[in-house]
Amino acid sequence: MTVKSAGNDIVALELIDKERSERPAFYSKILSTDEQALYKRKESGEMPFEIYLWLLWSIKESVYKYKKRSSPGLSFCPAKIIVQHIDPPSGPSPAISPGPWDIDSYEGDELYEGRILFGSEVFYSRSMIHKEWIATVAGDDNRFEGISWGVKMIGRAEYEHQSASVREFVLAKLELLSPGHDWQITKNQVGCPILVKSGAPLNIPLSLAHHDRYVAYSFPSGHPQFSSPHPQSPVPHQRLQRMTGT
Amino acid sequence: MDRQAILNELKIVLEPYTEDKEMLREINDGTDLVKDLKINSANLVDIIIDAEAKYNVEIDMDSAEKMTTVGSCIDVIMTKMAK
Repeated sequence: MTVKSAGNDIVALELIDKERSERPAFYSKILSTDEQALYKRKESGEMPFEIYLWLLWSIKESVYKYKKRSSPGLSFCPAKIIVQHIDPPSGPSPAISPGPWDIDSYEGDELYEGRILFGSEVFYSRSMIHKEWIATVAGDDNRFEGISWGVKMIGRAEYEHQSASVREFVLAKLELLSPGHDWQITKNQVGCPILVKSGAPLNIPLSLAHHDRYVAYSFPSGHPQFSSPHPQSPVPHQRLQRMTGT
Repeated sequence: MDRQAILNELKIVLEPYTEDKEMLREINDGTDLVKDLKINSANLVDIIIDAEAKYNVEIDMDSAEKMTTVGSCIDVIMTKMAK
């Protein structure tokens, strides 16, 4: 399967202005009337309104980033990307290990599953709500097979540090997937990130996100370039863990 | 109110959302809010809301979509103030 693009986003909840998020003048610029009604029906589970708002924001931005790779002139208008449905996690809310979080299996029951309409196109999302952040990955295939997705907390929130840290995070993952190559990250002609392996640009899309002290990425690690057996890692990433008894 | 006056006021509106104060002092019509000022996209709605309050205008969805550069922000604000 060829994955045409990548789109992800992360929202640091500490920076969310709860009072502003609850103002109709604010949230009506992000949510459609149908999405406001969706919250009232509680189909996506019980959650504070500001969490719902920023969950949908992260879904919409992820879809926008996925679509922008093929439509470089696209502007982000969240109210035009319509979240039609969100399925809540089937299990109880998980407590998450300190991270980094490496989420390349979508079969767990910790994720919110979304269906989104953008123009005439349908997209899908997987989101995780952690006590400190909301992270989403989006695509046009609801199976999310072979999509690697990582979230990590970093030390400082300055832009240059965020930018460098998210790249280091991806390169560490690439070294695990396909060790011994000189991996680099560059941008294609329309300004979207792509991977470079031993000096050769690969047509593998990559999406990067950062907000405050959190960075995140997504890319199709099911690509044939990563077909070699995965080596056992000494631990650079922890798997998503459900903590029992919490 | 002319473009230069709005541009000067936009510097105040944008100030809380960018850490690049030097770039903010030098903004012009071509300055991109995200690429040049490194404003996080999560703050774009804040900027629209702040501009609405400052100029007592309502910025609709189609207009907000255009507000990606300083110049396009000024265009939208001037159009709304003229109504």
